[in-house]
Amino acid sequence: MLLDFALPEHDRKLIPEGRLSGPMPWVIAIMLFLTLLVAAAGLTLAEAARQGGQDLARHVTIQIIEADPAQRAAQRAAVTRALRKLDSIAEVKPVPDADVRALLEPWLGTGVIDADVPVPALVDVRFGSVPTAETLTRLQSTLRSVAPNIRVDSHSSWMAPFFELMRALLWLAAAMFLLLLVATSAVVILAVRSTLNTHRETIEIMHMMGGTDVQAARLFQRRVALDALLGGIVGFIVAAVVIITVGGRFAAVEPGLLSGAHFPYYGWAILAFIPLAVMALAMLMARMTVISALKRIL
Amino acid sequence: MNSLCPVTPFVAFVALMQSVVEFDNVGLRYGAGVETLTDISFTLYPGSFHFLTGASGAGKTSLLKLLYLAHRPSRGAMRMFGHDTITLPRDRLPGFRRRIGVVFQDFRLVVHLSTFDNIALPLRIAGVQEKDLRGPVTEMLAWIGLTERADARPATLSGGEQQRGAIARAVIGRPELLVADEPTGNVDPEMARRLLQLFAALNKLGTTVVVATHDIHLLQEIEGAQMMRLDKGRLSDPTGSLRHPPRPLVLEN
Repeated sequence: MLLDFALPEHDRKLIPEGRLSGPMPWVIAIMLFLTLLVAAAGLTLAEAARQGGQDLARHVTIQIIEADPAQRAAQRAAVTRALRKLDSIAEVKPVPDADVRALLEPWLGTGVIDADVPVPALVDVRFGSVPTAETLTRLQSTLRSVAPNIRVDSHSSWMAPFFELMRALLWLAAAMFLLLLVATSAVVILAVRSTLNTHRETIEIMHMMGGTDVQAARLFQRRVALDALLGGIVGFIVAAVVIITVGGRFAAVEPGLLSGAHFPYYGWAILAFIPLAVMALAMLMARMTVISALKRIL
Repeated sequence: MNSLCPVTPFVAFVALMQSVVEFDNVGLRYGAGVETLTDISFTLYPGSFHFLTGASGAGKTSLLKLLYLAHRPSRGAMRMFGHDTITLPRDRLPGFRRRIGVVFQDFRLVVHLSTFDNIALPLRIAGVQEKDLRGPVTEMLAWIGLTERADARPATLSGGEQQRGAIARAVIGRPELLVADEPTGNVDPEMARRLLQLFAALNKLGTTVVVATHDIHLLQEIEGAQMMRLDKGRLSDPTGSLRHPPRPLVLEN
């Protein structure tokens, strides 16, 4: 059905086609530009959530809560040694006291924290693969033999609200993507109806000569397909420029929460597919609109 | 019969010819208005030639619209080419319309198409290949004297030229039924005579022709043509010859 795109030249003359002359290709270009940006944002979020989630889920922080600074240091060394013996752990990094104090300074104030303040000792641990809850419980009980007051904090648990937000944004992007597709379809339907009204006389003449609804629909499908294709190319080029530019800015951002936020390479294939899908959708909408309108006349 | 029949392995027999159009008490009403056509009954056989006359507003164009299947009757029975067109599914109508040639009163040439493309349109709609249509269309253009205007758009043609183009478009597909609404209204007497000759030639090949006209003098131009007179939506048929015309016989093998 969609292969009806190709028409002999004489049939094309029945409904004149103006390249980028009407508003339709430009409207489709704008709609597609927005659709592609939303899709790119969604893909970036999905990639960030996937990568960030995997990375964070492998990290845990072990807190050693001990008031005596000497004991605390000894326990931290013992915990570090015990952890390094475990095969499942890829990296163990004791956090220097100075770094811990620096972390607390924004809340407690500069120069307030001295050796008497019982700040917990921290050890950052990175597992080779994502640990299960059972692994973490086992780890906690193992480490309690060398440091009775320890707490194992999984990064994924305290980052959960952030990833919930990312997932919500992802759903929002998907909803916006669908809404834009619906809006594009509505634009196509309105444009086809307008063209149908303009060329009603030609269609009626074709009808009276034995032209079928499908023959008439083909003329509109082709016109809409060309408009969608031209609009799609313009929309894609502008969107690609924006994505590359914004992507460059993201890359310059210091690694942190946004470290996984980059547009994935496979995303370009998806973005390239969207204008083609919109073209096919536009042709389908045009066909359905014309056939349904023609059914109202004999 | 025997003296006329050569010795042949086939058996020749005489059959009754099937009608092209049959109207039986047909009525047409637009929307909720009064009936435009009332109790129309007539039968057209292949090869017959009819002039449809009547005052303006008598219903000539409405009757022609029924004949070229632009509308279905509001009541009554209507058969075309042996099929009940009232119950005929909509998707089968294009096949029937391709057997009908129409000359519209206002020509209705497609404004974006050249004269050549306008005349070729019915053939292209019917799926005739380009190589097969170029010859007939060129010949038709020569016949109606528009060879030089083959590439011209309708807007640049005179009224008479447009009318000739419209007639050529209606007859190019050798229709079984030709319906023409005032086809000679905008042409000079000589061209009117030539166009009627074209209709007569088609008629001799078996096409049933119905020409709506105000010009009753045209009747004299076609030998054996019948007149159908409409008066306020009713067909005048005092002798019943339109409803029950003599049924032609056809020799079949």
